[in-house]
Amino acid sequence: MTVWAHELRLLVRQRIAVGALILMTLLSAASVWAGLAEIARQHAAIERIQPQQAEDEAAIARWVSVEGDAGNAAYYSFHATWDAPSAFAFAALGQRDVAPYVLRVRALGLEGQLQESENYNAELALPGRFDWAFVLIYLAPLLLIALLHDLRSGEREMNRAVMLQAVAQSPGTLWARRIVLRAGFLAAALIMPFIVGATLSGAGLTGSLAMIAAALAYLTFWTLLCLMIARQGRASVTNAATLAASWLVLTLILPALALVVINGAIPVRQGVELTLAQRENVHAGWDRPKDATMQAFFREYPEWRNTPPIEGGFHWKWYYAFQHMGDVSVRPQVAAYRAGLEARACWTQRLGWLLPAVGVQSLLHRQARTDLSAQLAYQDRIRAFHHRLRRYYYPYVFNETPFRQADFANAPRWEQD
Amino acid sequence: MTSILPIARHEWRQLVRSRVAVIGLVLVILLSIVAAATAAAHREANADIRARFQATADQRFDDQPARHPHRVVHYGHFVFRPLPALAAFDPGVDSFTGNMIYLEGHRQNSANFGDVRQSSLLARFGLLTPAFVLQLLAPLVMIFVAFGIVARDRDSGTLRQSLTLGVPAGRLLAGKLAAVGSIAGLLLLPAAVTLGWLVVGEGAAPLPAAALLGGYAAYLLIWAVAIVAVSAFAKQARTALLALLAVWTATAVLLPRVAPTVALGAAPLPTRLENDIGIQRDLRAMGDSHDPNDPFFTAFRERTLERYGVARVEDLPVNYRGLLAVEGERMTSSLFDRYAERQFAREREQAATAGLISLLSPTMAMQRLSMAVAGTDLEGHRRFLSQAEAYRYDIVQRLNRMQAEALTYSDDSNRNRDIGAAQRVRIDPDNWRAVPDFAYRAATTTEKLHAALPSALVLGGWLLLGSILFRMAVRHVTRGNA
Repeated sequence: MTVWAHELRLLVRQRIAVGALILMTLLSAASVWAGLAEIARQHAAIERIQPQQAEDEAAIARWVSVEGDAGNAAYYSFHATWDAPSAFAFAALGQRDVAPYVLRVRALGLEGQLQESENYNAELALPGRFDWAFVLIYLAPLLLIALLHDLRSGEREMNRAVMLQAVAQSPGTLWARRIVLRAGFLAAALIMPFIVGATLSGAGLTGSLAMIAAALAYLTFWTLLCLMIARQGRASVTNAATLAASWLVLTLILPALALVVINGAIPVRQGVELTLAQRENVHAGWDRPKDATMQAFFREYPEWRNTPPIEGGFHWKWYYAFQHMGDVSVRPQVAAYRAGLEARACWTQRLGWLLPAVGVQSLLHRQARTDLSAQLAYQDRIRAFHHRLRRYYYPYVFNETPFRQADFANAPRWEQD
Repeated sequence: MTSILPIARHEWRQLVRSRVAVIGLVLVILLSIVAAATAAAHREANADIRARFQATADQRFDDQPARHPHRVVHYGHFVFRPLPALAAFDPGVDSFTGNMIYLEGHRQNSANFGDVRQSSLLARFGLLTPAFVLQLLAPLVMIFVAFGIVARDRDSGTLRQSLTLGVPAGRLLAGKLAAVGSIAGLLLLPAAVTLGWLVVGEGAAPLPAAALLGGYAAYLLIWAVAIVAVSAFAKQARTALLALLAVWTATAVLLPRVAPTVALGAAPLPTRLENDIGIQRDLRAMGDSHDPNDPFFTAFRERTLERYGVARVEDLPVNYRGLLAVEGERMTSSLFDRYAERQFAREREQAATAGLISLLSPTMAMQRLSMAVAGTDLEGHRRFLSQAEAYRYDIVQRLNRMQAEALTYSDDSNRNRDIGAAQRVRIDPDNWRAVPDFAYRAATTTEKLHAALPSALVLGGWLLLGSILFRMAVRHVTRGNA
């Protein structure tokens, strides 16, 4: 135990080492605090919209229920959906700053509605957010380099290495002890604030351990790289330059190059195409013979086949039928768009096996549910909800049942997960 | 001056003697060539596809058959934000903003399909563009190559030697600065060629291109001065390296990320959903079009009848439904404008906070200058949003006026019951072709340069600070700290 205490005393005496450890603690704590504040803001926004949404619904119910036209009810009622941040989102805010986490939909064609954007300041989104994942991926390796680059070379440059090697019972353990101590303290400085944050946000133990494990694996990679460079026996200054250059290549240059390659290899212009096509198909519905639209719709929903036929120039049945058929008509484009986005995410994950920074970023954001897949999963839940909405309104519209106050109250409600 | 050049030449030879330095330099120059090529290809592909989509949308709008004008209001239109030529150098917020808006009556849709939502999280590592290379990588390579330019001489004793030989410290450091500056020039060369090509080949305005080049030259000069000064103050080459790396990390990596956190915390934006609900609420407060006895709409009817001197809406020479549509659109649009202004004001407030933080970071100032001059800053996107909204309002009101003037009230009221009326309310497709296409007006050169002025002043301030630092370094070395 005394050798450890001795090593610790040596560590405390080094200004760079102490500075690096204090800086790591401060940066990690600040990032956790900023992440928790952002998540609190997102929760607050979700809370804030509830009474406003209720007031909006009540105002529509007031005038629609007088005539009781179900078509109006479905047309004017927007239904709120939201995607509350996971308990881990504070550590890796991911895409939640640019993708909507609250969205209103109505029982009309869905695909256009799903692509709506959120209001956000793009200039602030551009550099990315200051969260724990950023501190881990970018800053922790740099501080680790500051701590470890001169471990052997520093002693050698002070002409102490030979003496140390001679005095120590086993030189290997001596260096191992120093490395473990330094890297260990750095990891602790990084991870302690995360544990506090995870506890405050009520994150589960398994998930927290998974994120900690990912962080430790990433730090281990950088520690090993530092050792590999140090073994070459060059001067401290050369080690520092080589390591910082490796950091530059591994966290800035290669990911940026990879993005160019992946986005170039997997183009996704189907998004725009499906929006254009859906609008075209929905509006062609007005000009197509009503019967053609209805027959196509009945193939999807045979249960409404035997409802009263349409008379006159306009009927809500027909309107909602061609709205839905607009969605049906772009299914291939939706699937292709989706496949393109998933392929991009998938190749990024594969790249994670080669580039540690990308790998740990994927793991953290998957655990935090703030990545592209989480965004797509939210869209899927909105699709299911939209399906419930249509199923709720259809009986009123197709059977021409009046839609009253109580029917507004019974409409499907969004449930988080 | 005569004795600076030989020193610079000598230093330059010293710097490129290190194999690591040369490899680093060559790699970054190669990388900037790759970045220029891919960014240019990316811009061209995007500009092409947007132009093609825009042409398709215009064509489809014109090709509509005879329809009721209100159908066309809901058929709507699509507009795409064109990409300025200099986006090939610095795409700015282009990938972070939607570039397509669906325009329709009574609704204001968002700009959709920003690249960032269509990419994996890899996009958050940064985009490989000439601007990215110059803003982040070039200073780092300069640090790697030149951190020891004074400190290494001090380590080896040659610094003292030179001083005792009678070379003044000022000349010596100026020569070293010239050597580091020439490395900066080398790094700037691919960018200069790219910009030249964009001006000659792609029709980019020459003045903004020159301003970009000048801005980046000043930015790299600030780094060159900082490197020489820190190297002169450091006791050892290693200290110089660590200090410079710390400065780079803090100003180029950390502060740009801290700024959004501070700015968003100080002035958060309401969500789009809240704005939507708010607009509906304000609209109800103005008047309820679904209530036949609503005071606002009753007053509107009375006013209209009085203007035309008739007693019933059926007797009006124009279609009252069309007039109502014009009035309704006027109301909703005034709310859209009010909410958009509120949002823009909030965003500018956030930008001001970030601008304050950019005083501490030449990199942030450079980023803001670069986007502003390239026409790819958020202000450019706001121009697009405002112009798209103005265009939306214009086409919707044209169509509403067609409904008021080309249709009769009785046909319009009976179109779902009477087949003849249903035919008559469908007006000639020539009307759609008469609606003008969307023409985006980009910021003028004066506007761009004006927008870049605050950031240029920040960089100027840093240059001034750098020259003071340099003079202090000279004094430090002169006083025998060799």
